Amino acid sequence: MSIAVHSINKRFGEFVALRDVSLEVPTGQLVAILGPSGCGKTTLLRIIAGLDSPDTGRVFLQGREATELPVQQRRVGFVFQHYALFRHMTVFDNVAFGLCVRPRRERPSAAAIRAKVEELLALVQLESAATRHPMHLSGGQRQRVALARALAVEPQLLLLDEPFGALDTQVRQELRRWLRRLHDALHFTSLFVTHDQNEALEVADAVIVMNGGRIEQRGAPEEVYDAPASGFVHRFVGSSQDLPARRTAGLLYVGPMAPVPSAGTDGEVSVVVRPQDVQVNRAGEGWPGVVGAVRVVGPLVHMEIALEGHNGDPLVAEFERERYRADPFLTGQTVCVTLRRYRTYPTDPVG
Amino acid sequence: MSVAAHLPRPARGLGRGFLVALALGYLALFLLLPFGVVFAQALSRGLATYLHALTEPMARSAISLTLTVAAIAVPLNLVFGVVAAWTVTKYDFRGKSALITLIDLPFAVSPVISGLIYVLLFGAHGWFGEWLAAHDVKVIFAVPGIVLATVFVTFPFVARELIPVMQAQGRDEEETALSLGATGWQTFRRVTLPNIRWGLLYGVLLCNARAMGEFGAVSVVSGHIRGLTNTMPLHVEILYNEYNATAAFAVASLLAMLAIVTLAARAALEARAPELKRTGRTTGGHE
Repeated sequence: MSIAVHSINKRFGEFVALRDVSLEVPTGQLVAILGPSGCGKTTLLRIIAGLDSPDTGRVFLQGREATELPVQQRRVGFVFQHYALFRHMTVFDNVAFGLCVRPRRERPSAAAIRAKVEELLALVQLESAATRHPMHLSGGQRQRVALARALAVEPQLLLLDEPFGALDTQVRQELRRWLRRLHDALHFTSLFVTHDQNEALEVADAVIVMNGGRIEQRGAPEEVYDAPASGFVHRFVGSSQDLPARRTAGLLYVGPMAPVPSAGTDGEVSVVVRPQDVQVNRAGEGWPGVVGAVRVVGPLVHMEIALEGHNGDPLVAEFERERYRADPFLTGQTVCVTLRRYRTYPTDPVG
Repeated sequence: MSVAAHLPRPARGLGRGFLVALALGYLALFLLLPFGVVFAQALSRGLATYLHALTEPMARSAISLTLTVAAIAVPLNLVFGVVAAWTVTKYDFRGKSALITLIDLPFAVSPVISGLIYVLLFGAHGWFGEWLAAHDVKVIFAVPGIVLATVFVTFPFVARELIPVMQAQGRDEEETALSLGATGWQTFRRVTLPNIRWGLLYGVLLCNARAMGEFGAVSVVSGHIRGLTNTMPLHVEILYNEYNATAAFAVASLLAMLAIVTLAARAALEARAPELKRTGRTTGGHE
């Protein structure tokens, strides 16, 4: 089922949750809405589901206007962050719920419901848990029950609110890959909300980055990572750090580094650079600094450099561990920093 | 040094024994003793007198009126309590905090005032008095007045019990049920109701105990017409004022037994549903 949302606005009292949000998701895609908490991503998801209504704007599902359509008639599966399993029902009854509440004429027979639930429990690998209650399940198992329950009504669209937010890193990685395979196997459209960039980048066909009730960028994961549309996106997706800079007559001055040609209006700008794009030289051109703490993070090494005349946080340079080991730096050593790649944005961006 | 080292140790020996004895003694003196007196007095002239006091026509009429009033007031407040708790916890709207405060009004007001309100509204010289008299409808000094006063005094019990339970449970399960295609009624019956059933039962129990035991508000609107508008608590008072202590205590013993049953049921419910203990506890009103 395709989704189209046109110019949605939503306020809660004084708080503006969504400002003029429009988006389209074609049928069959798995799309992530990525943003910090309070950016409006969950509200957007709830409006698409029909759990909240927009103040202004319209929602289209499969090309048909659904703005006023009650949640029951939208044929969407909604999975809550904390799963919202019916605590007084067994796993089986949870999954069967959507079929059991259908009007008598449309309700499958008891045997058909049983077969369907068993099929879904097999799909989520929980056949043995059918008679258990949610409180006796682990977080990952609860999440899979919630998914099976949503899938029981054969939704055209699956909406997931922070689906893996409350799980351990390991379970989370397993489950998101599993969700991706499930999505590919069942051919529905999925939209999930997350504040975890890795989750969005790894699983989704497209990523929508939100901030302060607005959509900042929409694009393929590499596109959002490689060509962020705003300073916010650059900083939020992947790790990055800011350096103050100045643009004068088409030349960009970053600290004492040699000026480089740069298009844009003159004045103060922020240079945003990722740690792996920081080049550290033992001598020569660049911004001099002193090596500080060095930390090994799995296969990577993070090295802090206190730049001369820079009052902000030390700059972090990232190396592959093997390469760093072959030619390490010493704490206190003077080095020269240049930037392999960076982007410039107006200083003090909105939000 | 750990923080625990600075905390006073639990009192032992003499001090501890003294405190326990003090608490138990207090309880015995002010709660158990009067309770025992009720039954001792009631049975002081033998079982036959006791049973006669409960079965004579005026007593039977008082018992049946009390049961009738409770049978109307409790279901009404059950429905109101569930609706109020649902509204307050599942929706956001203007005036929500005012509604929560208003639910507590009967706890904050003396029951005598609660009764007077209805006299002022429906009494012979009240706002609607003339209209009611013209249409030959009796509210004050009649059963409808007693029902109204009882409903007013007991309406917070169910709502107060449910609001914390429902607040703790949030809206996610209901919203999930709706997204799975359930109607509002199906959602309430299959998802909400099973989640709140113990709290609901407990609220109904307290509501019933108060409805049957209410004295002040009912006394103002009843008119004390024997055999017609006398409830059990009023009947006890009349008998007592007539120096018929044995009969008074006999009827009172029924109310005392209601209290015992209520407490026992409460203990059983709490054993069954530990969440009742954790959530906010209702406090009773006056009396």
